[in-house]
Amino acid sequence: MPFGDELENQNPTLYVKTADRSVTEEEYDDSIVDPFDQREIFDLIRNINDPEHPLTLEELHVVQQDLITIQNEKNYIHVSFTPTIPHCSMATLIGLSIRVKLLRCLPSRFKVKVEVTPGTHNSESQVNKQLADKERVAAALENSHLIKIINQCIESRKRG
Amino acid sequence: MSRFSGVLQLTDLDDFITPSQECIKPIESKVTKSSGTGSKISIQEDGSYFQIGADGKGQKLQEVEITLADCLACSGCITSAESVLVSQQNQEELFRVFEENRQLKLEGHWNKTKTIIVSVSVQPVLSLAYKCKLSPNDCAAKLATYFKMLGADMVVDMTVAQDLSLIEAQKEFIRRYRACEQDGNKHTLPMLASSCPGWVCYAEKTHGSYILPCISSTKSPQQIMGSLLKQWVGQKQSIYHITVMSCYDKKLEAAREDFADENTKERDVDCVITAIELEQMLLAANIDLAHLENSTFSQPWLMEDDHDISPMLYSHVGSGSGGYSDYIFIHSVMQLFGASRQNIQYKALRNPDFKEVVFERDGKVLLKFAIANGFRNIQNLVQKLKRGKSPYHYVEVMACPSGCLNGGAQVKPRTGQTAKEMIAELQKMYRNLPVATPEQSEIVKDLYDKWLGGQDSDKVNVILHTQYHAVEKVTHALNIKW
Amino acid sequence: MVKLELAQTLRKGSGRVWNVSWHPNGEALASCGEDRCIRIWGRDLLGKWGNKVVLTDGHKRTVRQVAWSPCGNFLASASFDATTCIWDRQGGEFECNATLEGHENEVKGVAWSRSGQFLATCSRDKSVWVWEVAEENEYDCAAVLQAHSQDVKKIAWHPAQDLLASASYDNTIKLFREDASDGDWICCGTLTGHASTVWGLSFEADGRRLVSCSDDSSLKVWRGYPAGNQEGVAVPEGESTWKCVCTVSGHHSGTIYDVAWCQRTGLIATACGDDAIRIFQEEAGGDEHAPSFGLVGAVERAHQQDVNCVAWSPTVTGLLASCSDDGDIKLWNVNEE
Repeated sequence: MPFGDELENQNPTLYVKTADRSVTEEEYDDSIVDPFDQREIFDLIRNINDPEHPLTLEELHVVQQDLITIQNEKNYIHVSFTPTIPHCSMATLIGLSIRVKLLRCLPSRFKVKVEVTPGTHNSESQVNKQLADKERVAAALENSHLIKIINQCIESRKRG
Repeated sequence: MSRFSGVLQLTDLDDFITPSQECIKPIESKVTKSSGTGSKISIQEDGSYFQIGADGKGQKLQEVEITLADCLACSGCITSAESVLVSQQNQEELFRVFEENRQLKLEGHWNKTKTIIVSVSVQPVLSLAYKCKLSPNDCAAKLATYFKMLGADMVVDMTVAQDLSLIEAQKEFIRRYRACEQDGNKHTLPMLASSCPGWVCYAEKTHGSYILPCISSTKSPQQIMGSLLKQWVGQKQSIYHITVMSCYDKKLEAAREDFADENTKERDVDCVITAIELEQMLLAANIDLAHLENSTFSQPWLMEDDHDISPMLYSHVGSGSGGYSDYIFIHSVMQLFGASRQNIQYKALRNPDFKEVVFERDGKVLLKFAIANGFRNIQNLVQKLKRGKSPYHYVEVMACPSGCLNGGAQVKPRTGQTAKEMIAELQKMYRNLPVATPEQSEIVKDLYDKWLGGQDSDKVNVILHTQYHAVEKVTHALNIKW
Repeated sequence: MVKLELAQTLRKGSGRVWNVSWHPNGEALASCGEDRCIRIWGRDLLGKWGNKVVLTDGHKRTVRQVAWSPCGNFLASASFDATTCIWDRQGGEFECNATLEGHENEVKGVAWSRSGQFLATCSRDKSVWVWEVAEENEYDCAAVLQAHSQDVKKIAWHPAQDLLASASYDNTIKLFREDASDGDWICCGTLTGHASTVWGLSFEADGRRLVSCSDDSSLKVWRGYPAGNQEGVAVPEGESTWKCVCTVSGHHSGTIYDVAWCQRTGLIATACGDDAIRIFQEEAGGDEHAPSFGLVGAVERAHQQDVNCVAWSPTVTGLLASCSDDGDIKLWNVNEE
């Protein structure tokens, strides 16, 4: 549905945020090889803001910790995200924000794949294909208007 | 595959976007606000959206409607316009209007019924005549019968509007030429033809500021016909106006806000139907055009009671797109330099769709005109203009290769023929029609006197001319397609 | 089997390098990428490659592809800024002497026809444009081809005829040629079979076959069958028809971004999103109409990140250039083991 001054999904469901992670002694020890885990990736993306609502992707359940897969030995990370409504026109933008956030935060050796959770969007395969096309992503990130919005989405805002 | 001309398809980026998905026009929708959170929206099997509120009650969500005029005022995309257009100017809409009018007549609501007038341009008639193997005039007469069967009150020939358009464009050229001579204003020349809506729309969306001042302000024949019927003939009656045209882009033209009444929003052309759609309609109704009786065409602008005649189609000197370049060239050479040129010869440039003609005196080129058809030639022309390297005074620009006879919505070639053979045949049929001489037409003279208040009245400028608007690029970041 | 030996790593700019292109005389290599520059590399007296020229003022955004003209005098560059620049070396200095405008947005590919008469560009706007080289740095638009329904990624000219192939996000390859009767360009073939974006294409030296690579992690080899061919392959309306005669799958574990068919050795090199460069060779003694291509060499970690492009030297047998998201350009010697 076209959006203008009105929100597409006026009444999104809200969910409770996860508690902060407790940092273990081992993690402070640089001598111990510490592979990335689900929770670390989740912490990187949970506070990304929704482009439309003053809410985080975590609060909207767009991203969830158990929808993240990591294969450290293959340098591969897969993130599924769930748009709040099946026709959400912001889906590619949300996916792009997640992808950009991970590209910026993770070591460059990682291959990151960001996809719509199966069955949750009516243009699922097109959205996935576009997000997987690094050339399209690269071109998008050179668009000053677009990058501004993405930066707004991924700048971490501390919430009370 | 989009049915618009290639120029329009290029300016559109939305690959997987349907209007309802990513249209960027802000539209208000009536959603009953449910309180609190917890409502869910799901897609039904028919593709409609269903919202289930927190109270468990379901509600089918209303689909938002976007008008064509919205699409035209927006640089977002053009294929969205197509699906909108299909819903607003198609066969079903036509049948609906005919049926509604029939009902109103049956029930005796004479104050609410409309006079339904169908204006026929020459190119689609030739296209159907070619397909049905009829003579052009026979084909026109049988089409008249078909439209009257459907419920049309009158079927009319658009030649009169083509005449007015040529005369106005020629006068405009002289004005621009003299203005340029006087103060060297470079923005007045070259003058570029305005009758092709695909070209105009492309120029507005892509090359606003430096091309638009060059585009002729003269309305296209379709829109002059619209003004003639709605504003002159329509003084006494309420009219629903259908045009029969050779391309889909004409539907976009009809939908422009410039061509609607400011107050009533009623458009000068209510519905555009193309040759290929007519062919489908006939096929669906199992009607063989050749087997229909002949009917007459009307001339309501004469304001006389008995004005019906057998159809008599005309061509104009020059291209099958209306002959703008030839008409303006011949008459301008006469008016500006006192020389007579009857048969003008074009020289083809890189391809047969870009050709030019010059008027020379004492080895000096005084006038240089060109015909540029198809997108590649539009592109070369635009780039030349941009670099200030265009040598032309006038260019007849049409978006379709070979011009309007090859319009995007003409019927497909008969079995066993190629598109090129078909176009050659259409051009031959066109050349064989008697040639109209707009400046000698009594009807045209009469219309200038009675309707427009003279050749150069203010009314002429208001009614027969229009304006163009550069479309701003969308920078609303949430809607950028990438 | 073949062995790939790293000869030299060229590193200068910052960010992803999208493309490398050999000068026809093999003495220079042009590269381009995210840093909006075009770099020209050449050899010093000792034979070591180094950066000779940096062209910085042509493009406002990423330069996606560079291509030398067959005569070697011109370099064309395609950019996300929607323009294509033609650089000319006059008096030793490279100067941009023509900027081709017309595409609505990102230009993704550029290629010169073998005769040098035509230049083709392709874009995110779904169109392929053919430009005719006119006199004095003038390029006339000869055709705007809107056959694809999506982003067009790459184009390649046939080595002998003015036949153009284009690869697209719409999963197809299209072929175009000029209709001699009126100078119109027409789409004369659609090659379907890939399950996702087709990223690259390369013709075999004699032009009989074409290899394509895709996001579906496979290569496909297509063979042209002219009208009246002995094999009895149906040819519609007198056009040559192109048929997939071999699919190479199971070797790549990511998007294949580029493929290059060596004009000198017949080896096929691929650039893959799994950071590897792989070399394939046609198996001897196979059926000409159902050939097999086997993996004969590979470097699993050729680069730190995705490999974007591979290009065979036109003059030195077995010399292969590659470039990557990691910012490096590498030169490899590919030799029989």
